[in-house]
Amino acid sequence: MAQIEQSDKGGKKKKGAQKKMAIHVDFTPMVDMNMLLITFFMLCTTMIKSQTLPIILPTNSNQVTDQDRTQVDKSSAITLILDTERDADGKPVIDDPKTGKVKHVIYYYFGAPDTTFTTPDYLKEEAFMGNVNKKAQGIRAILADKNKTVLENYNNLKQQWRDGELTKEKFDSLARKNAADSLIKDRPTVLIKAGPDATYEALIYAIDEMQINQISRYNIEHPNRVDSILINQYKATHKK
Amino acid sequence: MGKVKIKRKSTLIDMTAMSDVTVLLLTFFMLTSTFLAKEPTVVNTPSSVSEEKVPMENLVTILISGADEKAGPEAEGKVFISFTGSADSTLIPTENLRLAMLDAAVKIYNEKRGKDLKLTPAQKKVFTELNMFGVPFEVLPELLDPNVSQAVRDNLQGDMASPKVGIPYDMGDPARNKERFGKLNDLQIWFEAINQVSQTTHDDLLSKFSDDPAKAASLADLKGALRTGKAIAVKADRNTPVAIVEDVFDNLQTMNLNKFTLMTALKSEDEPSN
Repeated sequence: MAQIEQSDKGGKKKKGAQKKMAIHVDFTPMVDMNMLLITFFMLCTTMIKSQTLPIILPTNSNQVTDQDRTQVDKSSAITLILDTERDADGKPVIDDPKTGKVKHVIYYYFGAPDTTFTTPDYLKEEAFMGNVNKKAQGIRAILADKNKTVLENYNNLKQQWRDGELTKEKFDSLARKNAADSLIKDRPTVLIKAGPDATYEALIYAIDEMQINQISRYNIEHPNRVDSILINQYKATHKK
Repeated sequence: MGKVKIKRKSTLIDMTAMSDVTVLLLTFFMLTSTFLAKEPTVVNTPSSVSEEKVPMENLVTILISGADEKAGPEAEGKVFISFTGSADSTLIPTENLRLAMLDAAVKIYNEKRGKDLKLTPAQKKVFTELNMFGVPFEVLPELLDPNVSQAVRDNLQGDMASPKVGIPYDMGDPARNKERFGKLNDLQIWFEAINQVSQTTHDDLLSKFSDDPAKAASLADLKGALRTGKAIAVKADRNTPVAIVEDVFDNLQTMNLNKFTLMTALKSEDEPSN
């Protein structure tokens, strides 16, 4: 383990001179042990902390009557009905076996539900597609188009922040103000309704789209009968 | 010809430098590590673009178990709770918070349901050391039995299919039970305990720091976290049906806990969700 080497140069030894000694301590076992400990700590730690998505739900007390509630303006309302495709066993269908991504479908319509079923293509179908070449796709493009004014302001602010004209705190507070600015009239109000088959992931993705598109007015609701009828009607006409 | 003399070299490699590096790495990992808290079941959270981190203190985590092939359909949607107190030890540390929550919840349970549940100090101590729990009130004494080992408790809570596991949260007829102090289910009793304890501990702290107004004004306690909506984090599996998660949301809403967060993993904005 540890050894003491005498440096013997073969020269004459002076009497009384101290012998020069090089002390070698073998550190290999120490390194071995340290490596083990490092491995242990590396495996046991959580380097990536979870993120949180804040949401605020309205009160559901039955003391609140319909008169107290804010009515959604029909012209600005967008209703998203989330659905997840499931197989015969009720398990979510995996769309891409490589990533294990599940197939979510979003049915959406603008304004009040059309209960006469006469407007062609009233209910449309979209998917969560993210960005392709930095351009919004799928449902994100539709929401971005509806929230143009807010997004334009937001992108301007973002540019200013990137150019170093704004601090991060200032940017955050301005962005928040912009998203909730009541002076901007052409803002959508999104109603997110999760269908019976939808998974929690679909809901998170939908709330995520709200954040990405700077939509501050959205609500999570239970789908009602009209919505189920609309979807059944859609499925009957569009799918084999 | 002279003989070529092969120099005999020592094969010893100096490991000192290597050792230095490993010790440095070790120190780094030891200082930065936060250990994975033990949870009764593993859930795979969905990903979002939100960059807000989960707070380290003043947090109530509500875990909803996901589907388990082996355990059958019963295993899905079991609810567990974990309380974390303040990091500042002069405020309410985790042990005190858990104890206060347990006392408050048992009191409400006994009052509202006309039961007589009593826990011994030893059982309460076990509760303060238990990271996450998820059993109905009837099973609490069994879970908190001080004479059994932690492994036995983990086994009890880890069996997702068992009816003894999971905090009941069925609200029954939603139209009737939205009344705030109607018949509370177990989960609502815990939520009510959160409401009460956050208020009472806040008042205690205010009187404790009455001579230190600066500290009293900026108390980082559960009540402050509740107000900003950071106190409650719901953690559920990505493939759990929304209906189950919304049931839990309904329970939170009924107990006036309308602001909360959902725990997610990080993804980039460009990533296709589908």
